[in-house]
Amino acid sequence: MEPLDKKEELIRRIAVALRGHEGAKAAPRPPASSPGTGGESDRIARFRERFEEQGGNFLVAASLEALLPALGEMLRLSGVTVLFFPPDDAGARQVTEALVPFGPFSLASPAEVRHPSPHPAAGVQTAEFAIAETGSIIQTSRGGKTLLPGLLADVHVALLSPAAFVDRMEECLATLAEDPPRNLSFLSGPSRSADIEQTLTIGAHGPKKMIVVVF
Amino acid sequence: MEPRSRSFYRNSEKALANATLQDAISRTTEKFLGHRADSIAAFPDFEAVRHEGSRIKQETLERLDHYLALFIAEAEKRGAVVHVARDAAEAREIAVGIARKEEITLAVKSKSMVAEEVELNGALEAAGVEVVESDLGEFIIQLAGEPPSHLIAPAVHKTREQVARLFEQKLGVPYTERIPELVQIARKHLRAKFLAAGMGISGANFLCAESGSIVLVTNEGNGRMGTILPRVHLAVASIEKVIPRLADLAVFLRLLPRSATGQVISTYVSVLTGTKRPGDPEGPDKLHILLVDNGRTAILQGKYREILKCIRCAACLNICPVYQSVGGHAYGWVYPGPMGSVLTPLLAGLAEGAPLPNASTLCGACAEVCPVKIPLPELLVELRADERSQGLKNPAEVLGMKAFAAVMNRAGILEALERVIGVLSQIFCKEGKVTWLPFKFSGWTDKRDFPSPGPQPFRRLWKKQRGIRPWNR
Repeated sequence: MEPLDKKEELIRRIAVALRGHEGAKAAPRPPASSPGTGGESDRIARFRERFEEQGGNFLVAASLEALLPALGEMLRLSGVTVLFFPPDDAGARQVTEALVPFGPFSLASPAEVRHPSPHPAAGVQTAEFAIAETGSIIQTSRGGKTLLPGLLADVHVALLSPAAFVDRMEECLATLAEDPPRNLSFLSGPSRSADIEQTLTIGAHGPKKMIVVVF
Repeated sequence: MEPRSRSFYRNSEKALANATLQDAISRTTEKFLGHRADSIAAFPDFEAVRHEGSRIKQETLERLDHYLALFIAEAEKRGAVVHVARDAAEAREIAVGIARKEEITLAVKSKSMVAEEVELNGALEAAGVEVVESDLGEFIIQLAGEPPSHLIAPAVHKTREQVARLFEQKLGVPYTERIPELVQIARKHLRAKFLAAGMGISGANFLCAESGSIVLVTNEGNGRMGTILPRVHLAVASIEKVIPRLADLAVFLRLLPRSATGQVISTYVSVLTGTKRPGDPEGPDKLHILLVDNGRTAILQGKYREILKCIRCAACLNICPVYQSVGGHAYGWVYPGPMGSVLTPLLAGLAEGAPLPNASTLCGACAEVCPVKIPLPELLVELRADERSQGLKNPAEVLGMKAFAAVMNRAGILEALERVIGVLSQIFCKEGKVTWLPFKFSGWTDKRDFPSPGPQPFRRLWKKQRGIRPWNR
C-alpha cells in the first residue's frame, strides 16, 4: 500500500511541476535512422576494422578446419589451458572439442570456472549479432543462455556466422525490443581501464583477450 | 558527502598550489579532449545525432510523468521492485531496508553519481554491509577515503606512486609502480568480492521506459559482473534518466562514449530487463530499482529544466578553463565543472553553491561540447541573477557592478575614464604590467600580473585610423 502511494505521489508531483510548461504533447519521434549500406562482406570488413581498433582479435576462414590451427595458436600464446562452452551451444561445443588437439587444453563446465583458478580459461560461445558501426558483438540471455564465457573467462571466443553481421545498432535493438531479454550485452573488445594516470590497460574485470571467429 | 561548495575559493587556492594535482588534471583533460576531438572528426553525423539526442531528452522531460509511470509499470511487470525516494535520507533508508531484508553482508558497487549524492555507502556500512567499489578509479579513492574528482575518471588526482603505496598498505601486496600489475592486483582482489557478494549495486546511465530496462555503460566490465553474479541487484537512478524507447539508445550510445572518452563505443553496454527467468542459469533473483528525486521535481518546474538533460559525459569538465585549473574537489560536492556549477546550487541550495555559478568565465566552450546542447553559460548567468535577487551577492560587488553598468552606458564617461587610466598606467606601471591592485581587486593581481592599459584607448585609435568622429556614428 505504502510504496504504491509513493510512486503515484512522485508521478503526480512531476505532473504538477510540468503544468503550464508542457511542450509538444505528442510522443517524441523515434530517432531518424538511415538504412544499412553495403553487403555482407563490407559489413564484416567494417566490423573488423573497428573491432581491431578496440583491441579485439579477428579470425575469418571458409571452414572450421581452416581456422582451428590459428585459433589454437592464439589461445596457446595467451597461456590458455582450460576451455569451456555453454552446454546448450552446439556450435561452441563443436569448435571447442575440435580445438583440444591443437594445444594442451582441458575442458571444463561453466560452473567450474566460477571459482577463481590459476589456470587461464577461454570461454567459447556463439554470439547473436555483430554490429559493423561499433565493432560490437551482441550476447543475450534469451532462451536461458549463460553469459559467463564473455564475463569470467580470461579469453572470450565469440563465434559468428557471416549472416549475423548488421550495419547499425538500430537493427538489432529493433529485433530485441519486441521481447527484451533479461540481459542484452554489447561486447566491444577486451576489458579495459585507464583509471590510473589515464594509461590504457587491458584486462580490468572482464576478458583480457576477445577473439571474434567468423566461418 | 556534505557539500563544501561555500569554500570554493579556499579549495581552489589549495588546488592551484598542488603541483602534482595540476599535472594530473592537465594530463587527463588534454587526453580526453584530444580523443574526443579525433572521434568527432571521424564521425561526420555527430551534429545531427547531437540534435536528435537533445530533442529526445527535451521532449522526454516535457512528458516525464508519462514516461516515468511507463518505466515503473514495465519494470514491475518484468519482476523488478521499484522504490521511490523523495530525498537523500529516504534513499538511504530504503537502501538499508533492502539490504536488511535481503540479508546482505557484502555488496559490490559500480559507479553511480546519485549514490554519491545521497551518501549511500556510508549508510549501508553503518548498517553492517561491506560495500566494495568495483570501478578501478572508485576502488582507489574508496581505499584512500576520498570523494571522486571527475565524473568518469574519479581517481585522476592520484599518481601511480600514490596508488602503489595505497595498495601496499591496504591490500598487503608488494609495492609496484607498474600500472598493468596494479590493475591485476585490483582485478584479483575484486573478482573474489564479485563471486562472494550477495548484492550488486549499480547506477543507471539510462532507464528505458517502453521496456522498463536499466542501461549501464562501462569499460572495465564491472557493471556487467555486478549485475549477473550476485543474487540481488539494486539499481539507483535519478528520475531524469528516462528515455522513451530502446531504439533511442542508439542515439545516446553514439553521443556518450565519443563525448566522454572519444571511444566509438564503451567496451561494455548492458541493457538489463527484469529478474532471472525460468531456465536462466544465472542472473539476479531480485531486482530493486530505487528512483531518487532529491530536488529534481523542483528543477523540472522552473527555468533550469534543461540541466536535467545531462548524460554525465564530463565533456564540459574537460573543456572548462576553470575545471582545468582547480580540478573536481574544489567544487566541494559530487558534481564538478560547468554541469556541477549549475546542478549543485539547485540540489544543495543556492546559498551553499553560491560561488559555483561565478566560477566560470562564460567562455561558452561547455555549451559547444555538450552532447545534448544544454545552454550551460545561460543557466550560470541565470543563477547569478537569482543570487542577486535573493540577496546572496556581496554588497560591494553589487555596487561595483552598478558603477560598471553606469560607465558602460555612457560613452563619454567611458572615454574620459579610459584616458585617465591611460595616463595613470604610464606613471605607475612597470614594464607594461599591473602588479598590484588595492582592496577586493587584489584577486586579479595576487597570482599574476595584468597587462597594463595602453597610453591610447582602443576607441581613440579606431577613430583615428578610420577617421571617424564621434558625431558620425
